[in-house]
Amino acid sequence: MSSLFHILFRRLRSPLFVLVVIYAISILGFVIIPGVDDQGQPWKMSFFHAFYFVSFMATTIGFGEIPYAFTDTQRFWALITMYATVVAWLYCIGMLLSIFQDAVFRQQMRINSFRRRVGNIREPFYIVCGYGDTGTQLTRSLTNEHILTVVIDIDENRITELEGDDFKSPVFALCADASQSEFLEMAGVKHPWCQGMVTLANDDTVNLTVAIVAQLLNPDLRLIARAETPEAEANILSFGANEVINPFETFASRLALAIRSPSLYCLYDWMTGISHQVMKEPPVLAQGLWIISGFGRFGESLYEHLDDEDVDLRVIESDRTKRDLPAGTVMGRATEAATLRKAGIKEAVGIIGGTNIDADNLSILMTAQEENPDIFRVARQNEDKNAHLFEAANLDMVMQRGSVISNTIFALIKTPLLGDFLRIVSRFKNERSNELVSSIIGVVEQDIPDLWEITVCAEETPALYQILKQRPLLVSDVLCGNEMTEDGSYKRTLKTLPLFLRRGEGNVLLPEENRFIKEGDRYLMCGSIKARDNMMLCLNNINMLEYILTGEDKPSGWVLRKLWEYRKGVGATSVDDSFKDSDADEELIKAEDVTEKPERAKDVKSPSDEDKPTSNAPSDTGTNKDE
Amino acid sequence: MNSEKVIFAFFIVLALTLNFGFFLGGMDNASHHNIFELYAALVVSMIATILKVGDRTHLGAVFLATSLVADLQLIAAAIVWGYTEHVTEASLNGETLSIVVSLSGGALLANIISVVLLVSETITVRR
Repeated sequence: MSSLFHILFRRLRSPLFVLVVIYAISILGFVIIPGVDDQGQPWKMSFFHAFYFVSFMATTIGFGEIPYAFTDTQRFWALITMYATVVAWLYCIGMLLSIFQDAVFRQQMRINSFRRRVGNIREPFYIVCGYGDTGTQLTRSLTNEHILTVVIDIDENRITELEGDDFKSPVFALCADASQSEFLEMAGVKHPWCQGMVTLANDDTVNLTVAIVAQLLNPDLRLIARAETPEAEANILSFGANEVINPFETFASRLALAIRSPSLYCLYDWMTGISHQVMKEPPVLAQGLWIISGFGRFGESLYEHLDDEDVDLRVIESDRTKRDLPAGTVMGRATEAATLRKAGIKEAVGIIGGTNIDADNLSILMTAQEENPDIFRVARQNEDKNAHLFEAANLDMVMQRGSVISNTIFALIKTPLLGDFLRIVSRFKNERSNELVSSIIGVVEQDIPDLWEITVCAEETPALYQILKQRPLLVSDVLCGNEMTEDGSYKRTLKTLPLFLRRGEGNVLLPEENRFIKEGDRYLMCGSIKARDNMMLCLNNINMLEYILTGEDKPSGWVLRKLWEYRKGVGATSVDDSFKDSDADEELIKAEDVTEKPERAKDVKSPSDEDKPTSNAPSDTGTNKDE
Repeated sequence: MNSEKVIFAFFIVLALTLNFGFFLGGMDNASHHNIFELYAALVVSMIATILKVGDRTHLGAVFLATSLVADLQLIAAAIVWGYTEHVTEASLNGETLSIVVSLSGGALLANIISVVLLVSETITVRR
């Protein structure tokens, strides 16, 4: 704010100076020049009258010759000063207007208002650096979830574009260089409500710089960066608790996963996809010869990942000067049928159009289909604007760089536990992942599935926290098995599944139903959107939760509650007793936890060894409860 | 030589001298206090303020503060003078004149502080 005033006043210094001097001379002139009053007696204007006259003359208001008609000498002086003062005023006003139109001043004003708005944020928010294709998609997904977003981009056109877009929750944007610490700080890197930062610049060096600066400013900040080369990825990962998304690497590993374990691929695709869509059937990818056309960064990571899965691979590359090509590479343009035939298109089961030109990729895949109609076609889409073309081509799989990154990042933002969960699950054997997928489908059924996180603490789940202070609860009491139906009647159904639990440093995959819930636990939950809304309602409303746990609809008001307790015969003494009981229970939990610990450790190390009852179908809990 | 500093020094010293000239004399003796001198002191003091407006240095801000104080005191003095002469229709008696003079005395003190600051700043510049 202060610098705004400084710019303003420094520029106004000379006009103000001119104004004061001209006023001073004009007033002095009127005081000195003799005049006559209405009786024709000699009269001299006082400073008061002179100042009054000059004031209304200079501002072109012009009340007339006050208090007495002027002599010709006075009129002569008035003639001179009226032009001088009006010019001085015009100079002042003109300068003021030009300052407000000045680019530096306007940028300063924008920065000030941006800083003020970010400073006033009192809810969790994310910073997105770079508003390209990926940034736009990510911002849209975040605002759709009503997460406040702060955007920085160096390109003014993109910021103008953003200001024209409609978002469901506010987006604060600043046109500035994010790699400068000053602007990052302004965007709220050190803000107590800042949940994390996502850097999505096209240039790896920019992402690296932003990551380093952000890390130095706030070492605890959660940072998700985009990197397109393995070197940059390793570099960013080398400091702080960061996540790096390499679009090529992500897609290549996903494709390899689709070949190895279709159900896991499905799980990944769904969990990191845009929410509000029904789980898709896994694609059927045959084992056999795969052709990769284009051996750039994308082709290389694909080759690496598919080679690990022991897939037969053949590479087509048009650049003859390229080094380190794998053995058996066919040199030539993949858009030509002859080259494709040379690469063995007739026997191949799949082809990947992976060059960095969209038109080439489409052409390759269309030619390939003519040669071999049954071939599985995977395309790399480089630019967002070509989405319609790729849609029209009806391909089996399309890798959109922007959405691969933005969807993955969005999933990581929404459910931070997801990253760890997926890392553990990716080591699953096929049978176990099938089991997991089927249990998720069992929970979700035909509904739209959703993922969410629950933290057991006073801020996020006050009702659960409050009850937990009084008595111990099992996972099956709240997190699965119970749900409030719409009409408010008491009903037990299982529409949710706790996927993952983080307690302190330990991780538990698919926490058992008979595990005690503890303060500070973080659960990754899965279920339908409706189930999620109902669960969040219960965890926030103590009356609702009590009702679900006990089936008794307690009054919420103090007087009525006391009456109710009295009617139930719960006296003061018995309340004390129940407190004692819960104390004893807590001891019990502690003891139990000690015995549990080794089991949990084992759980993390080798999730596939243990045969946990993952298929905790709704009926199971129901019967258990009835007993 | 910094011409901006010299110009400022000229105005701030002129403001002090004019103000001193006005202040000098009997507190309630109208013949000792000339209205033109008060007018000149006020205008020069305002110019000195404008010269320091928008200065980002600490000393510049202090200069701005002290000359603003002088301005306010002198404007108050001028208002008192103008009000008694024109609104109450009474000629300037010793009582009101002593108010005007004591207000200008306050402005004089502020001007003196400005000049002291100016002198100390000038001494620290060893060029």
